[in-house]
Amino acid sequence: MWLPLLGLILGISLGLMTDFQIPSAYENYLSIAVLAALDTLFGGIRAQLQQVYDDKVFVSGFFFNIALAAALAFLGVHLGVDLYLAAIFAFGVRLFQNIAVIRRILLTRWADKGLSSK
Amino acid sequence: MKKKGISRFTLILFVIGFMLAIQFNTMQNPEQRDTRDVWEIRKELSVETQYHSELLTRIREAQQLVVQYESSQADRPERLVEQSIKQLQQDIGLLPYEGPGVTITVTPSEEAIAFGLTIEPISPELLVRFVNEMNRFQAKAIEIDGKRLIYSSAIRDINGNTTINTLPIKTPPFEIKLATDSIETVEKLVAQIQASGLADDFYLENYALEIGEPVEKLSITSYDQPIAVNYLTEWKEGD
Repeated sequence: MWLPLLGLILGISLGLMTDFQIPSAYENYLSIAVLAALDTLFGGIRAQLQQVYDDKVFVSGFFFNIALAAALAFLGVHLGVDLYLAAIFAFGVRLFQNIAVIRRILLTRWADKGLSSK
Repeated sequence: MKKKGISRFTLILFVIGFMLAIQFNTMQNPEQRDTRDVWEIRKELSVETQYHSELLTRIREAQQLVVQYESSQADRPERLVEQSIKQLQQDIGLLPYEGPGVTITVTPSEEAIAFGLTIEPISPELLVRFVNEMNRFQAKAIEIDGKRLIYSSAIRDINGNTTINTLPIKTPPFEIKLATDSIETVEKLVAQIQASGLADDFYLENYALEIGEPVEKLSITSYDQPIAVNYLTEWKEGD
């Protein structure tokens, strides 16, 4: 349980300490990649809670989503259409849905626990 | 969750954290590229050096004034205050200026006379250009056709007449007096006027510039009109 959190903290501290910056032209891609990654992460947590978690789906989803989002943004830039908005919208909606499902599952579990302990 | 799953989760969270941090870094301090070349940097450096030396001069002057104040505190400090006021008035042109200088006469050009052209009054644009150049060449006091130029003097066209301080100036010939700190500066000023394209600019409008000899003592009149001070108020005693 704590190991993933440690990984997150390690990643953040490494990123902050290296003081690495990307050119402003690629900011869009990175932001959308971050969103895609978060979406995959919460999807993974939800799948785990629903006991349908699959390693292959999770890892492939992570990379595939990021690549797809970046590709969409790239295409948008070259077509002059803000296609990255589509990706942001899709990921944003899914992010909220996933979080809502996770919350419900956790709430149900908590309620069950309360009942069983009575 | 299986062990393998946890390690993958950890790895992916690590990647997410890294990406978040980089995004944060990028948004916090956008990269500012220095696109100046060596020449531009040198130019900026020389401007700063000049500024530095100017500041040093002013500090020295202020220090001298302090020393004077301190040494004269026993006898008459008000005389020094009067002196300071006089110096300030001198600096902005409320008192006549006397110093090394040169007289330039603006006359109709010979060709214009020979062709019998009517001599138009000098244009404000030409005069402004001339004054700007003189300030660039470090003239300390400028008088055009008997009108002293100060920091707020306006050279403009009023109903077809070119005016300075709202007083019309004559159609050429008229005199322009320039004064500086030292005779060397005057010589330099004359050389700079000769080297600059000013004479050509005047010639295009059918005037000629006759530059006189630098003299040790040239008197320039004072500014004789009231100065409108819009944003400063008098310091009342006891406030």
